Amino acid sequence: MQQEQAVPSIAVPAAEYALRKRPNALQNVLKFTRRKPLGAIGFAMIIFLFAMTLGTPQLEFGVPELPHRPFGVELGQPWMSRYEEEEQFKSITTGRLAQNNSPTIDNWLGTDSSGRDNWSRIVWGARRSLFLAVWALAIATAVGTFIGVVTGYFRGWLDTVAQRLMDALQSFPPLLTLILILTIAPFTSSPSLVVAAFALGFVGIPQVQRIVRGVVLSTREQQYVEAARVIGATDTRTMRYYILPNIMASIIVIFSTGLGVVILAEAAIAFLVPNVLPSEGASWGLMLDQADNEGIGDHPWPAVASAGAIALAVLGFNLAGDALRDVLDPRLRVG
Amino acid sequence: MQQYIIRRSLLNFFVIFLVATMVFGALRIDSSTIISNRAASCVADVGGADPEECRNIAKSELGLHSSIPSQYWNFLRDTVQLDLGESFYTKNSVLTDIKQRALPSVELGLLQLVVALAIALPIGIISAIRQDTWIDYILRFVAIFFLGIPVFIIAIAVITLTSQFAEGSFLADWLGPHNTGWVEIWENPYQNLKLVTGAALVGGLGTGAVIMRFLRSQMLEVMRQDYVRTAWAKGLRERVVIIRHALKNALIPVLTVVGLLLGSIVSGNVILETIYNIEGIGFYVVFSAAQFDFPVMQGIVLVVAMLLVFVNLLVDVAYGWLDPRIRYS
Repeated sequence: MQQEQAVPSIAVPAAEYALRKRPNALQNVLKFTRRKPLGAIGFAMIIFLFAMTLGTPQLEFGVPELPHRPFGVELGQPWMSRYEEEEQFKSITTGRLAQNNSPTIDNWLGTDSSGRDNWSRIVWGARRSLFLAVWALAIATAVGTFIGVVTGYFRGWLDTVAQRLMDALQSFPPLLTLILILTIAPFTSSPSLVVAAFALGFVGIPQVQRIVRGVVLSTREQQYVEAARVIGATDTRTMRYYILPNIMASIIVIFSTGLGVVILAEAAIAFLVPNVLPSEGASWGLMLDQADNEGIGDHPWPAVASAGAIALAVLGFNLAGDALRDVLDPRLRVG
Repeated sequence: MQQYIIRRSLLNFFVIFLVATMVFGALRIDSSTIISNRAASCVADVGGADPEECRNIAKSELGLHSSIPSQYWNFLRDTVQLDLGESFYTKNSVLTDIKQRALPSVELGLLQLVVALAIALPIGIISAIRQDTWIDYILRFVAIFFLGIPVFIIAIAVITLTSQFAEGSFLADWLGPHNTGWVEIWENPYQNLKLVTGAALVGGLGTGAVIMRFLRSQMLEVMRQDYVRTAWAKGLRERVVIIRHALKNALIPVLTVVGLLLGSIVSGNVILETIYNIEGIGFYVVFSAAQFDFPVMQGIVLVVAMLLVFVNLLVDVAYGWLDPRIRYS
């Protein structure tokens, strides 16, 4: 009886067997959605946000420059925006600027005090917020992971000194550090978004380092790391091929939750001290600040649009980050 | 234990030394802006004064005329003697200014924490003991919502809505900002509470969400422990099992998180203090950064760093005291 049962499983062709073992991408997505509905909503929000930044690439290459050349290729007008960034609307009946309009067919979210379309400015601003966040997080995770892996792996005096240094960095009020870097840095004759990304990333380094170091400390005691050492792997090799791949899940989680934090930080600075940030292009935080100065009660639409964009973006990254952490790396779970 | 505290304290002083060095260095990377600002105002004041002379006067006023090492030495010596210098802007001693502004920050921080705990404790417990029911889902979603929506957006929304739809009423009075300046609590408690309540409520929502999520996961873990099962098996009432057996043990790690939060709340409420016109430390930091007020920035960073590292130490010691299984190394 038992033998009969065993036969078919051997007879299954390898390809089919593999197929049954590994569900395809769609099945994975569906499973994730069923297990983590809130996380799926978060991911949908993130995908929508990134879709906002997409535009036809222009044939212009160069040094990456924010907001419209994030990866060296100039991006054209975002597909989702209906109008140019600075395009001003005139009222048909009076011929004057259509200031602070309520939503209409032409302006889905109304217009701001200069007669510009709120929806289009939100879409243009998404590029600035998201790519600023991506750059800042790339800097923070790259540096933070490097320091975290090295100090967590070697421990000893190097670790002690680095830990105290990170303690010192972390005890600066983060907003003060940001303002300091943005105002007094010698490389800013005029504030630029790349410097802003660097500043935001710099503030994140100690936080990333702390988490990564903690994970490395537990990973380095695993048997496979010990085995690597036994077969004579060098320190570099152990860190690169044994530790790094195994803490990748944590790094992905840090990255995705960090994006929300950086978007929030940028919006907060733009709102509190608008003059330290460069005003190239539309920005959610600067929009909200402007709306607040002009009186939200009288003209709510620019404020509703920008506050909604910031809040939804941060909420989306939080939801997605939470779900990712539960699925990928339960060690980091806080609540 | 004693050894541990001494060693940690020494390390803390090393951290503070690092902080002092960093803030000193950061402020001297580029001092040309502030010097030319000062010089410009001097030229304007005197009228027709020699610009170069004005630059020199400005430099000596700012203490930037000597070499960097001697500036550094003077800075360290003064700091050890608790002399943080004078503010360029208000001309007061920095320490006096900080003392004056510490109180609003501490009051706001504590009140915010009270609000947060008042929200987090019942909600966290309910959400844990009714895990995966509809009430748990609703409470968790609300928590994630308040965690996800930035505090300054909630604050703006609350202020706008109350001033728009309830102008002059009780709600707008208690939840909105005031421009009357700071009133000490012993001078006029009613007025004082009015100043901070709005900010504390708005800030407490976010902090409460953090604590609630943490408490929930701790409760879930503790509820699966053997001693809780024993308590159930003894036939104790639900209230007794939850509060006396489960909550007591779940609260220990939560308390440490609360302690750590307190440090960052008191020092870092920049956003709420600015929106609600509360003249605390955070407000002062942004204000002085905008004015390039070096001594104030140095002073605040040092005081805040001191606060944070010693609160951390206190929290670690308290953790071991509450949970004797923890060993120090």
